[in-house]
Amino acid sequence: MHVLITGSGISGMSAAISLAEAGCRVTLVSPFISERAQSVMAAGGINAVLDETPGSDSTALHAEETLKGGCYIENKEAVRGLCEAAPDIVRWLDSIGVIFSRTQDGEIAQRPFGGQSRRRTAYAGDTTGKQIVTAMAQKCREYEIKGLIDRRTGLDFHSAIVKDGRCGGAVYTDRTGGELQSIYADALIMATGGMNRIFGKTTGSALCDGYAAGRLLSQGARLRNAEMIQYHPTTIETPNKRMLISEAARGEGGRLYYEKDGGRVYFMEDRFGEKGNLMPRDVVSRCMYECPSQVYLDISFLGERLIKERLGEIYKLCLEYLGLDVTKESIPVAPGVHFFMGGLRTDDDHMTDIDGLYAVGEGASKYHGANRLGGNSLLAALYSGRVAAGACMRRGEAPEKSFGDVSADILSDIRTDGDGPGPSQILTGLAGIMNTRLGIVRDEAGLRAGLAELDALSKEAERRRYDEGLSAYENYRIPYMLITARAIIMSALAREESRGAHFRSDFPDTRDEYCRCSLTSCSGGELSISFEDDRIRGDRQ
Amino acid sequence: MIVRIKRQDDASSESYYQDFVYKGSGRTTASQILEAINSEDDLRDAEGRPARRIKWEHSCLQKACGACAMVINGRPALACSYFVDADADGMLLLEPLSKFPVISDLAVDRSCIEEHQKAALMYLGERAEPNAKERGQQYSAAGCLRCGLCLEVCPNYVGPEGRFYGAVMANESYLLASSTKDRRREIAKEYKRHFARGCSKSLACREICPAGIQTLSSIGYMNRL
Repeated sequence: MHVLITGSGISGMSAAISLAEAGCRVTLVSPFISERAQSVMAAGGINAVLDETPGSDSTALHAEETLKGGCYIENKEAVRGLCEAAPDIVRWLDSIGVIFSRTQDGEIAQRPFGGQSRRRTAYAGDTTGKQIVTAMAQKCREYEIKGLIDRRTGLDFHSAIVKDGRCGGAVYTDRTGGELQSIYADALIMATGGMNRIFGKTTGSALCDGYAAGRLLSQGARLRNAEMIQYHPTTIETPNKRMLISEAARGEGGRLYYEKDGGRVYFMEDRFGEKGNLMPRDVVSRCMYECPSQVYLDISFLGERLIKERLGEIYKLCLEYLGLDVTKESIPVAPGVHFFMGGLRTDDDHMTDIDGLYAVGEGASKYHGANRLGGNSLLAALYSGRVAAGACMRRGEAPEKSFGDVSADILSDIRTDGDGPGPSQILTGLAGIMNTRLGIVRDEAGLRAGLAELDALSKEAERRRYDEGLSAYENYRIPYMLITARAIIMSALAREESRGAHFRSDFPDTRDEYCRCSLTSCSGGELSISFEDDRIRGDRQ
Repeated sequence: MIVRIKRQDDASSESYYQDFVYKGSGRTTASQILEAINSEDDLRDAEGRPARRIKWEHSCLQKACGACAMVINGRPALACSYFVDADADGMLLLEPLSKFPVISDLAVDRSCIEEHQKAALMYLGERAEPNAKERGQQYSAAGCLRCGLCLEVCPNYVGPEGRFYGAVMANESYLLASSTKDRRREIAKEYKRHFARGCSKSLACREICPAGIQTLSSIGYMNRL
């Protein structure tokens, strides 16, 4: 059988390697090589219970803390599957050559991360994602050499090829010339990451833009929990963008404070006790939002040796981009958009609402609920790729492979001849709306104003100018990024409560009737929001 | 500040230089300047003539992905970590890497880096027991960004068609040879063919590497095999 994968970061490569290991033929398509994917930026680590001796840790506890961190809207069985697979995933990574940090006994080292009561986060210095990408790219290369994986770069996703509700491949455009290229397959796995670009510059990659979510929403897939956007508590302002200061800094003992009357107020510790700095990210970000002045992160007391050994990237980033020596000074930090818990809705097999079309990684909404725990994103990327690959194999070859030539239908979609604003101007406007209206604290008036602003921008975008200086993709993605943005605002409006990353000042309490995931559907170009009936099964704590 | 850019419309056209005015101030980076110029809706050059947007690659903007490698003021560097004082007199000169085919403007085709690894059968096979002594160097070698800066400055690297694959090959060979249980000999053989026989040890690669990889240690290990 032949599976087509869009996106070659960790989740895409996870699916590709799983399929190739089983002898399936894979075409792995991406605009650039894996080393350019956002995955290389994942710093902190990957969660797994590697020592389950009684009294130490358990996968049940990992699952419980993941559900609790996500405010109990996720499916318990799905989360259990994720956590149970974690130890095997980390050992597999070790077997393919990931250079994990180790204890003196030679065991894979683990450190504490936010929202977790045990040292559960395996890490490779503070470039875990990069180290994993290097090893997985090498493993993919082995299967390329053996003829099972066909890697194609320089192609941007355009749309899924869907006929009678079934997916039979995808259409791409050449990044250089803009030519269309259709690739047919028995199944399509989308591994296109989060929706960063909608917010302009975030901690993540500029390549993750939310286009695929909007396009597939318009093709019949649904989005889930689109309103759940994680603000990472510790980001720094640099000339380039807001950069992440990994949670590893607080995992190793870093302390948050603000200054008052010449002294320091350790507000997280004052409020939550000794482990206050390692509360879940949504809690820390909200507490920081309420602080009366600039918040600082202090790691200087950890000592130069530990900082350079375990937090070397933070040391280098601050020195280079802020001119600040973290072994001597505190870091001025503020929350910044970091991760999207929302994405394409999938079933237990990671299949979307379109038959034969799967979604994995950050682009799929699964496991993290209303707030993701640090160390669970790399895990979910690897696990979801495996699950989707397994499901594709069980499903087998597609019975019907005739989809006809789809190219002619979409050529008109690519070029526009308006006299309005160009794509760059529209994206600047979009980022302005999203950052203003979808902050850490939201309310109905602000969200409605955001919708009105988005309406006006969408209207302008209808007569947008085609910018010859950009790629075809950078032109045709615009209306679909606007659709994704609309889904986010509408979901945030519909959830009239506060839960996890979604805080409504007009509905500050968590409400039982919203203990479920939101869904965005698209019909006739109109979006509508509903909530999953599939409530949490079993006991809640 | 004047920003002079070496431009090329596509792979087959002639190159030319075009000046732009960057209106920002203070300490910033070359990548931020490029973004600022490109974000202008009605982009014009320093003479006020309409200009095509500048093509360049970027992803992480924080030295983790290697996409934005180019030649800046005559020196190969990552645009995201090349700092500029926009208030100072002078000009910022941006040119594409010269050892790779130009796609357009500052974007070049670096696919040969991976093609070389494939041609040399660079994969791990079965992993040996982790060796604590090598871990630091392995971690460093695995940080290769695939940016191509080491190839740009290498006096022995002639381009995609050559047999010499440069420092990327030395570090990849080291990473795999020091980690594998069953492919050491094959990797060492490929290393000799595609690196050891062509390297004149200028060590320019070591100085330029934005990831700070200790290529000399990789070479030392491989030469002892």
